[in-house]
Amino acid sequence: METQTIAAKRDEIATPARRAFPYHVLEKPGDNMVDRFLEAFAWVLEYTDYKPLLDSYCRSTAKCNRCAVACPILLASGDPRDIPCYRTNLLLDTYRRYFTMGGWVKARFTTPFELTEELLYEMGDVFYRCTVCRRCTRSCPLGFDHGLITRLGRYLLSLVGIVPKALQVSVQEQLEGETHNTSKVSRAGLLDVLSFLSEEMEESLGVKLDFPTDETDRDYVFFCAVSDYLMEPDTLMGNAAVLYAAGDWDRWTIGLCNYDGINYGLFYSDWHLEQIIKRLVAEVDRLKGRSVLIGECGHASRAAHDFIPTFMGQRAPPVRNFMEYTLDCLRAGKISLDPDVVTERVTYHDPCNLARSGWIVDQPREILRSFCRDYVDMTPKGADNYCCGGGGGLVSIDELHDFRMEIAGKVKAEQIARTGADIVVAPCANCKKQLKELVEHYEIPCTVVGLHDLVLRAIEIPGGKSPAERRAEAALFAI
Amino acid sequence: MTIDSWIEFAKGPLFAVTFMVMVLGLGRQVLLQFYFLGVKKGRRLRNVHWKQVARETSSWVVPVRHMEPGTGLFSVASYLMHVGVLLVPLFLVDHIALWNAFLGLHLPAIGEGTADALTLLTISCAILLLVMRLLRSRHRLVSRPADYLLLMAVLLPFLSGYLASHPGVNPCPWNVMMLTHLLSAELLFVLMPFTKLAHVVLFFFDRISVVHWQLRPGAGDRVAEALYRKEVGAR
Repeated sequence: METQTIAAKRDEIATPARRAFPYHVLEKPGDNMVDRFLEAFAWVLEYTDYKPLLDSYCRSTAKCNRCAVACPILLASGDPRDIPCYRTNLLLDTYRRYFTMGGWVKARFTTPFELTEELLYEMGDVFYRCTVCRRCTRSCPLGFDHGLITRLGRYLLSLVGIVPKALQVSVQEQLEGETHNTSKVSRAGLLDVLSFLSEEMEESLGVKLDFPTDETDRDYVFFCAVSDYLMEPDTLMGNAAVLYAAGDWDRWTIGLCNYDGINYGLFYSDWHLEQIIKRLVAEVDRLKGRSVLIGECGHASRAAHDFIPTFMGQRAPPVRNFMEYTLDCLRAGKISLDPDVVTERVTYHDPCNLARSGWIVDQPREILRSFCRDYVDMTPKGADNYCCGGGGGLVSIDELHDFRMEIAGKVKAEQIARTGADIVVAPCANCKKQLKELVEHYEIPCTVVGLHDLVLRAIEIPGGKSPAERRAEAALFAI
Repeated sequence: MTIDSWIEFAKGPLFAVTFMVMVLGLGRQVLLQFYFLGVKKGRRLRNVHWKQVARETSSWVVPVRHMEPGTGLFSVASYLMHVGVLLVPLFLVDHIALWNAFLGLHLPAIGEGTADALTLLTISCAILLLVMRLLRSRHRLVSRPADYLLLMAVLLPFLSGYLASHPGVNPCPWNVMMLTHLLSAELLFVLMPFTKLAHVVLFFFDRISVVHWQLRPGAGDRVAEALYRKEVGAR
């Protein structure tokens, strides 16, 4: 057995230096990438709380490879770069060598690990081969959060200008652009969409509802992924139907200065994560709203639910995901769902940002089981479920489409096919986009919908058309 | 010095010194982590479900539900090795006198047969882990020299201890084997705070990533200011 140095090992398995990332970046990285990266690392260690985490991980990493068998990407690719603890150790080795006493001492006596431009290119590649699903964390006996390390790696790279252009441009528009949202939907555009949805609901549900915008002093200020306004009318109408049927139409509003719950900072930058959260809370404060209601988006829900308390402290408004609200209404008898409308086989995909921590696992299942005759669960499910393959912002990066289809989403596609389901419920904008592309790519005969898309079909609307009537009408127009 | 006087030295002052290095070194790690948790994070921690963290941590004591296909053999070997590594050094009859003398601890003794079985189990599991780490490419790729050497460092005191107490299979003189046993154990004491063996105490602090996800407010602005002001100033 020959002892390998780190550099030799990396040369053995790393891709040849191509001086390119597998995604577009806004500006080509300049000279002194390594120095700038280390300087950014130093400032991050100075002002954040990552140092004790890195110290602890450096001294405990067991290299047992349990993370490897949990990772759906490694299971599909077999590429050693995808072993979570290999990827984490790129950053830990850098930390140990340049920021610890032990690393400094060791460097005096042995051939030390050295951060090079090739390594930075490798980091830029492998940190965006991870969907930050954190399945590996559940499998690691030491509980290493490789997702958190991936994020830290991406944050450091972003500080030296290495970020997928798709994410950076969206965040720039959200923070500095005119429309202040990631899809450049203008206020006029939004009002058009809401007017259209209103007309749709009048025609299909039989009730005239005007979406409440910029209303003050409401219990719920609603945020969804802004792309839902363009692409998921059924989900939004489902949300509206629940609010109306529960008698809460006067308790909610959409803010016209900020109507985008998306937070790409959660994927790659602590700095932007905080800024976007602050803007969201500023909108709630402007409207004197009492709480935040997040629509069907996994990362938007988690960003708001976990990080509003973190960044806003005592001033944090409470945050709920819409599915929690719907379940409360169902349990209280405020809404009623017709159990004869959805007869297809239905299964449920757990978005990582909702389920991995155990936050939202049983709630959507309780809703679905109350009105779906043929509900089946995937295996594994809940907090152990597989990532759709588009998490961590990957779904927004078109250059990674082939990677997402062939590798990142392969295990998920097989899992869906095994259920034999006609309908996959995925209450997350990003998961929906990824899963729709996946089922098309692998020719799996099923449709991907949001949870409230199905609720819309089954919900009893006071003073409106019954679910059976609506189903009959929809069948007439079905192609 | 004769071997016997080396043995007396290793059983006495050297044991005390190396044990103290281990205790102080690991204690420092623990204190630093508590300092971080209590002082730096303290009041800013929100909604940490400590009961859930405790429950998940303790589920690893008997990790049956954590078994995963593809890691069965490695996991079982590692778990059984840990059982031996924890029980034999603490509860072996010969060691109990040591704990009594140095720490005033009166620990119960395990029977000789049990101790022998546990020691052989530990040795065979450690060898199995070493072989798997050498042969499986997935393990080899993430392993550096320390990962192999530390396994051997853990194996050595068990092997030498077993041979020292079983003259029938011991190829060396008893005092040589005894000295090897003492020195290899003391090497482990010294290595513990500075290598991945520190997971003995850090295990609990590794598992609290929920705490680490609660990022420090305002940190992003400060980092950006420090980093970019210099660049802006340079233009």
